[in-house]
Amino acid sequence: MNFLKKVTTQMLPMAEAHLSLGNNSALHTSAVCCRVQSGRYRITVKRDRPLTYEMANPPHFIGHRKSWNSWNTSTLKDALRPSQTAIEDVFIRKFITGTWHALVCSEIIIKRQHNMIRIAAIIRQAINARKMYFLIGYTEELLSYWMQCPVTLEFQTVADKKDVVFKYI
Amino acid sequence: MATNLVRLLESSLRSNNAGVAQRTLRVFSSQQQQSEHSVEDDEEFRVLNLRTVKQQARRRVIKKEVVPPPRTTHMPVDQDWTAVWSGPRSFHPASVPLPLRQGYTERGAAAPSKYANAELMKIPNFLHLTPPAIRQQCEAIKKFCTPWPKGLESEATWKAVFPVEVVTTDYCHSLPTIRHPEARRVTITLKLSDLKFDAHAKDKFLRLVGDRYNQETGVLTFVADRCPTRKQNYDYALYLLTACYHESFITEPWEASKSEADMEVYLFERNKAKLSAEAILNWNATGEKQAPSATYADSVEKLINEGENEYNIAKYKEEVLKMLKIAN
Repeated sequence: MNFLKKVTTQMLPMAEAHLSLGNNSALHTSAVCCRVQSGRYRITVKRDRPLTYEMANPPHFIGHRKSWNSWNTSTLKDALRPSQTAIEDVFIRKFITGTWHALVCSEIIIKRQHNMIRIAAIIRQAINARKMYFLIGYTEELLSYWMQCPVTLEFQTVADKKDVVFKYI
Repeated sequence: MATNLVRLLESSLRSNNAGVAQRTLRVFSSQQQQSEHSVEDDEEFRVLNLRTVKQQARRRVIKKEVVPPPRTTHMPVDQDWTAVWSGPRSFHPASVPLPLRQGYTERGAAAPSKYANAELMKIPNFLHLTPPAIRQQCEAIKKFCTPWPKGLESEATWKAVFPVEVVTTDYCHSLPTIRHPEARRVTITLKLSDLKFDAHAKDKFLRLVGDRYNQETGVLTFVADRCPTRKQNYDYALYLLTACYHESFITEPWEASKSEADMEVYLFERNKAKLSAEAILNWNATGEKQAPSATYADSVEKLINEGENEYNIAKYKEEVLKMLKIAN
């Protein structure tokens, strides 16, 4: 505490001088910034930005026009492992978008029941069926090893990326 | 060198007669054709490519795999749906032969169809729990069921036979763990009227259990959650009940020293009121002593225990007049 005493003895005259100089500018205020941008997309000049149904509805429509991407019981009152579940979901999403590189056309939906994790997504038919089967097995095997519980992939495929486009803005 | 040699030959042949020239040319024809290209390349001026037009590499044609049509197109009308959709699963448009649509659109536009619709994949469906599927599963587990025990048909009978009710909670959550700290809690309830007591034991039992007894409903509740497992908590709750019950029948030596100040209710038997009433009744009496009537004792107890209300005071007055044989 000694160093504090030193500091205060040095600082106090300075602070007092400041106060005496400009009493009116001691407190700064600014307007409240209520800007919310996440999950909302801007209209382009050419109106050619493709949006899926998920992207077309901003986050405040969750539960009204669109539903949640993670389904689990961790967010109930007094439920267990809320943080671990959230981190695991982020990891699963990253792993799948990386493993199925440039193939995932939708959000990745993670549903948990008991110790089972079911992952659903819409995949482009850009690779042949053999590679797809390999990737499914690879993803399931690795994820179930990391999560220590059975993981099932329930993918739907589309012929073209444009199949999931809901509108252009 | 070779080209020079050929030129030399040609010039010499031209000077000779034609017939010979033709023959020799035939001999050299194969060599001559090969050498012609190199002569042209060598002698032709190269074009100055100012704009540097890139030669476009031919784009590789991506061969698309033939995707079979959705399974719904081949489905017979009388198929076994439980075989198609046997367990909980995300929605798949090619497996569900229903013209479903989901999604919000502006007024007038049709909702997005079931193909490439992520909303339909998100919501939990009950396609695996159709009535025939439930019927099938019930049939399958029927062999594990036992008949309901005879003599326990109505709720009143089984409540009389099994007075103790045990309440525990199982938690089903979507986690890799099946444990929940609240699952160890065990609650045991029973009616106090189901236990047999004498007056002393009942009083002592109620003092032992304290606020575990609900005066209004007459229900006794033991909650045990201090042990780590449910089994231990259940055993502990039953032990508590048993120990309290048997402890209440033991009369300790110090209980005899219970003074009037320790009494929880007013008892006519051990109070001054009884002595006073006896003294009045047996005034100057010799021989057999008279005891105050039970109704009088009851009215005095009620007057003091329940408080002075109109009914109790009227009752007490009536009893006193009766005891003193005073005509009203």
